[in-house]
Amino acid sequence: MQEFTWPARSTETELALDLEKAALRREFEQRLEACGTLAFRVARGVLHNAADAEDIAQESLLRAYRRFARLRDPSRFRAWLVRISFRLALDHARSVRRREQRETVWAVNVPKPTAEDVAASNEFARRLHEAMASLPKKLRLVLLLANMDGHSLEEVAEVLQLPLGTVKSRLHSARKQLAEKLR
Amino acid sequence: MNCERYKNALLDAAAANAKIGAKLARHLEGCNRCRATLQAERELFSRIDRSLRARVNDRPQPAFLAQVRIQLSKEPSPHTGSSPMCSVTGAALALVLIAMIYPLINARQPKIQGDFQTPSIGASQSIGGTQPAYAVIEDPDVRSRKHFNRRFEAKSVIPVAPEVLVPPDEQKAFAQFVARVAGRDAMAEAVVSPAANKTAARNTDLPQVPSVDIADLQLDRAQRNEWTDEAGGSE
Repeated sequence: MQEFTWPARSTETELALDLEKAALRREFEQRLEACGTLAFRVARGVLHNAADAEDIAQESLLRAYRRFARLRDPSRFRAWLVRISFRLALDHARSVRRREQRETVWAVNVPKPTAEDVAASNEFARRLHEAMASLPKKLRLVLLLANMDGHSLEEVAEVLQLPLGTVKSRLHSARKQLAEKLR
Repeated sequence: MNCERYKNALLDAAAANAKIGAKLARHLEGCNRCRATLQAERELFSRIDRSLRARVNDRPQPAFLAQVRIQLSKEPSPHTGSSPMCSVTGAALALVLIAMIYPLINARQPKIQGDFQTPSIGASQSIGGTQPAYAVIEDPDVRSRKHFNRRFEAKSVIPVAPEVLVPPDEQKAFAQFVARVAGRDAMAEAVVSPAANKTAARNTDLPQVPSVDIADLQLDRAQRNEWTDEAGGSE
């Protein structure tokens, strides 16, 4: 019985595909240099732990790479990456919260906080983290991006594709709600 | 009272970190309590901003980007077009869909299309009943299609086989006719063929059929009286 083989691609086609893939990879690596830290910072804004934020940022960058060829407008890469990392970080925070609740209910011996936890468990920082977590997602994302270095409100509006007025009102509302919870 | 009126404006001014309006400034000049509140609110907001900025502008470890690059090198290249596997799968799916839809479309067409080369003629045996008897002329092809399209028969408007309705008083004669015609295919064809074909059929040598005797209506006395009564009543 004769074994089926796929019709072979011509050498030109193979070469063109390889070149295209190499170009895509190069383009992504250039963007990685500029946007790698952005993905980390978005995740860090949502998560309490810097190590978790690194994991989430790495996962976001890998996801972005896998779907990079499908991105029709390369100028939207930053906004796309921000959304991916924000969503992944929220999912992670939710799962961490659930795990903590389970452990609190079932654990006989609650593990003692590590030195790092003690250092991080500044009362105000803890309350701020809780207040941030209770904010609506759309307000939280504006607040995070607006507080990042090098992000003017115009840039935030551009990344989120929102009118500048909407960004300003969301930022104001987020700050007032935070202060309300921390007062 | 005045303080309550300025409270919202005061909180808004602290949250927006904006300049204070003239009216509020005048009130603050004369109100120590509101001045203290504004000061506390400003401190709260600056503390929030400081904490947020410290957290959001945190930097990843220096090895972070190098680790991402290592992970990227393990990933296959992003897809740029459709693979041959995708094309073949698509074509196979299309074929399967066509194979599934074709019988459905075919079943909706009229079912009687066959020629009547070898029809078999049968008659119902319930001659003595009060209901009109009927003879069903079935074509073997029609029968096989009937079996194939059983699922769709209920919806079909066109009957699968033609029916011949016979009045009760002609049932006996019709049964005799059917008995004589049975087995004579050419005659059956001439009987059931469409009008256009009948002209041609007439020109050929049709088999001679002996005349069909239709007996007189035999009624007993009671039936005759009943018949007479009904005829008189209707006049």
